[in-house]
Formats: sequence, structure tokens, C-alpha cells
Amino acid sequence: MATETSESTETTGSTERLVGHQTVERLLGTSLYVVSGLLLLFLWVPLAIIIFLAFAENAVTIFPFEGLTLDNFRLALRSDSMRSSLVGSFTIATVAASIATILGVLASFALTRYRFRLREVYRTFGIIPMVIPGIILGVALRIYFQNLLGILPGFATVVLAHSLYGLPFVLLIVSARLYTYDESLEEAARDLGADPLTVFRDVTLPVIAPAVGAGFLFAWIRSFEDYIRALFLTGPNTDVLTIWMFSRIRQLDAPELNAVSAIIVFGIAIALAVAMNVGNVTGYVAGTVTEEEE
Amino acid sequence: MAADERDESARARVVRLLSGPRSRIGVTVGPSAAWILTLLVAPLAFMVAVSFFEVSSLTYQIIYEPTLNNYRSLFDGGGAIWNTPFVTALWLSYVIATVTTLLCLTLAFPLAYLLARSGGRLFKLVIFFVLLPFFTMYLVRAYSWVLMFGPGGVINSTLMSWGLIDAPLGIFNYGVPAIVVGLTHAYFPYMLLTLYASLDGLDFSIIEAARDLGASRVEVLRDHVIPLTLPGIIGGSLFVFVPSVGAFITPTFLGQGKVQMIGMLIESRVAGTYSIGYASAASMFVLVSIVGAMILAFRYVSIEELGGA
Repeated sequence: MATETSESTETTGSTERLVGHQTVERLLGTSLYVVSGLLLLFLWVPLAIIIFLAFAENAVTIFPFEGLTLDNFRLALRSDSMRSSLVGSFTIATVAASIATILGVLASFALTRYRFRLREVYRTFGIIPMVIPGIILGVALRIYFQNLLGILPGFATVVLAHSLYGLPFVLLIVSARLYTYDESLEEAARDLGADPLTVFRDVTLPVIAPAVGAGFLFAWIRSFEDYIRALFLTGPNTDVLTIWMFSRIRQLDAPELNAVSAIIVFGIAIALAVAMNVGNVTGYVAGTVTEEEE
Repeated sequence: MAADERDESARARVVRLLSGPRSRIGVTVGPSAAWILTLLVAPLAFMVAVSFFEVSSLTYQIIYEPTLNNYRSLFDGGGAIWNTPFVTALWLSYVIATVTTLLCLTLAFPLAYLLARSGGRLFKLVIFFVLLPFFTMYLVRAYSWVLMFGPGGVINSTLMSWGLIDAPLGIFNYGVPAIVVGLTHAYFPYMLLTLYASLDGLDFSIIEAARDLGASRVEVLRDHVIPLTLPGIIGGSLFVFVPSVGAFITPTFLGQGKVQMIGMLIESRVAGTYSIGYASAASMFVLVSIVGAMILAFRYVSIEELGGA
């Protein structure tokens, strides 16, 4: 806003108008900041309240305030069903994100380097799993596995569904990186006698590694926080954290849930702060990674 | 020695495999194409088929005889067409998704503009505070609004303890307004990041030039800023609208049984009575409307530009 103010004032002739103009500019600038501040408040207040309630004696609402406690955390950590579903979700997310990363990296190479028939169709279908409503993908896969293939829902079906769901995130992030990648580096390595595998390991991989990592992280988080696909595709032997949480929230009285949520918020805050300082996460997320930022 | 030899030959084979352009495309495209075909295209195609078949309510087996009964049952509720659960839920879903999208757009635009015009430390800090809720589990965010709303929720009880109101206000109870707020909170970052990516590429000297030449603020916004960021606006709207239509968790928690959106209707039919015929037919309407919205959007933006979030 500042530059706009100084430049437009030069063109204004009379002193009277100049004052009025500046006031308007300042008001607009201020209101922009106020609106943005209120928005951040809107994004943050509910999370702050969850964290506060995690430490509160009375877990459902602030008033009447009954004092602070760590009981909620103790309750959460002692719950066996919580721990087993946490392990289940971790395993599912890790396996599914690994599959999605391998498939997504290969697909990114294909899309950025080669011309082939149906390339645009392939690209579009590679992104659809991210866009299609989870309820429809979940139900479609459930019917497909159970009624057509005769596979009962369980660990494998959730992992397959989540690996498909994670694919677009890897694909978009890695192919964005490959578009800006200087291929002459690879040519130089090949001219010097390296075979394709060596070139990939020593030249290409180090350059795209941050993007691959970001893609994996995205796919992992998407799998970890998914409820609706897991609901239709998990079996009795596979516990999923979101399903455990969902049933607790439905009962509307779950003091340990605030603690679990607070732990998740803290954990992600730390991971994100680290990631933002180590790699250019915001760039990957906002799709604005450019060559000079590397 | 033997292991070494095998290793060498395996490596040589991989290298040979990667040397031809045809096999290179096969290796890179093949696995994901197989995944997409078997886990996306085939299930959706099967779902289309199921929507035209009867499903036995005893054995849950599909009876492979073409029928339109599933579609008929969507619009057949004994009363008027617009009173059937399906039509009510679908209509309500569109209304809620539209309001949510417009709300996200108006809220995100000022912040995205501010972010695009400022840089450095402030930018990093703000983006951190926007991304953190975004990366927090969806379920946790929905739950946080469960605590906020309701007759005894944080908003009502706070207002009452401050003496501002005597009885809980209906607008802060569970229902459609709560769902709109929850969905806005959930999908706001998609809109913000897409708009930001689009505004970030905007040449702000155009705005200054237009202002210098005497255009009013509204004119600049209408004639320059909005047309130039249209791909971002459309992309962001799509990212908010589509998941809002199919939302399940947020309306379940924040409706507390008073509201039924289309995602909840489909879930209840499958989880309750395994009425997969009904669910498939209902899904077709959601899918068709989403494909329609995307085709409309792709007239203005390419799918690569949508890659923002």
C-alpha cells in the first residue's frame, strides 16, 4: 500500500484533496490489516480453545471455569484403543504415502519429459483422486472390492485407496519442480560416461529430493487425517485414529479428545516450523517455487 | 561372486530397459496408469453399472438386470419430488457449498492481496499462521467448532457469562450457519493459497498506472485486478465448492442430526442398509454436477494452474 500512496499523491494538485486522499488511503490500508487480523483470529480461536480446554478441568466449555489439570493427557495416553488406532493410522499413512511417492515421481518424469498419446487425459486422471469427493471414492472402492472382486475391507484396501488419494499431491509438487529443472545437468553427466541409473542417483535425485519429500509429507498427512475413505475401506482388524476420534466426538463428551487434538496441533506446529526453515514449504504449497529460490 | 554377477546383470537390464524411449515411457507411466485404471476408472465405471442394477436386500448381491429403479427411488418419496430426502439433501448441499465458496472468496481476497504486496518476515509469519490450521487434522478443526457452537458451547456460554445475553442464541446453535462456518474454516486455506499464487504473479505497476490515469479503486478492481486473477478466483472456488458439496464430517458434527447434506445421505444408505444401488445413483448426480463445474472452470484455467493446493 505504501508505494501506491506516495506515487498517487504526486499527481494530486490541490492541498485539500491531497489530505483527503491520504486519509482515505490510510483508512483503506488500515482496514486491510484489520480484516486480515480478524481472519487470522477466525482461523486460530477454535484451535486455541481446544488447547486451552485440554488443560481445563471442565472439558466441554470455558465457563464455569474449574481449574487446570493434566488429567486429560493422562487419560488420552492410557487409552489402549487410542494407542492401537494411532499405530494403525501411522502404518497406513506410511505405506500408502510411500506407494504414492514412487508412482508420483515416475509419473512426474513421464509428464515433464516425454510426449505420448493421451498425455493430457493421463494428467487429468492423475489429479482427479484429489478432487473427487471422498465419500464417492470411498463408496465406489468399497463396492468394487467387495461386490466385484470379492475382497473384504481391511488393511490392504485402505492402503490402496490412500495411495491413490496421495498420488496427485506428489505428482503436482514433483512435476512443478521438474519443469524448472535444468536438464543439461543430466546431459553433462551422461556425456561424462554415467549410465542412467547413476545420473538419477547422483544428479537428478539430489535436486528433486526436497520436492519428493514435500510430496511424501502431503500424501502422508492426507492419509493420516482421512476419515471417510477409511470408514468404508477398513476392516475389523485395522484400527484407524480418525474413526476412533469420530466415534468419541459423536458422543459429545470426550475429555481426552482435547488432549489428543492439542498434541496434534503442537506436533504439526513444530514440524511445520522446522520444514519452513529447512525447505521452501510455502513455495511448494502455494505453487510458487522458482529457480532463484533454491 | 555369483551375487555380484547377478547384481551386475540386473543393473545392466535396468539400464537397457531405460535406454529406449518406448520402454522409458512404459516404466514411468505404467505403474501409475495401472493404479488409476484399477483403482479409479474401474471402480467408478462399476459404480455407474451398479446404479442401473438391482441389489438384493437379503444377500447384498447385485442382480445383473438393467433397471431404472435406483434412479426412480431417488425421486420417489410418496410426496412431491422436491420433498424427497435426495432432492432436499442435494439442493441444500449446493446452497451451503455456494455460500461457503462466496464467503471464502470475500474473506481470502484481502488477505491474499496483503500477502502478495508484502514480503519478508511478515509474509513468512502470516503464512505460518495460515498453514498451521491448514495442516492440522481436518477432524480436529471440525471438532473445535463443535465446542464453539451449541446451546452450551463456548460462544453462547461466554456471551452469557459476560451478561451480554440471557439465553443461548439460536444462531450459535448447531445447524446450517454452524456448518457454513465450519466449512469456511476448513477450506479457507485452499482459497487463500490459490488466490495468493495468482495475485503474486500480478504486475502491480498496472494498478498504479491505472490509478494515476484517474481510474477509481472500484474500476481498477473490476477492470484489472479481477480479470487478471480470474484463474486464481475460479481455481480457488472450485477447490472450496467441490469438497463442500460432498462434505460429511462437518455437517455431521455441526448439524447434530438437524441437517442432512448429500454426503451424509449416501453414507447413511451404505453404512445402514448397504443400499449400494441407491448410493450409486445418488453419487452419479454429484459426479455429473462436479464434472460440469470443472468443464466450466477449464474454459478459464488449465489443470496445471489448479495445481496450487
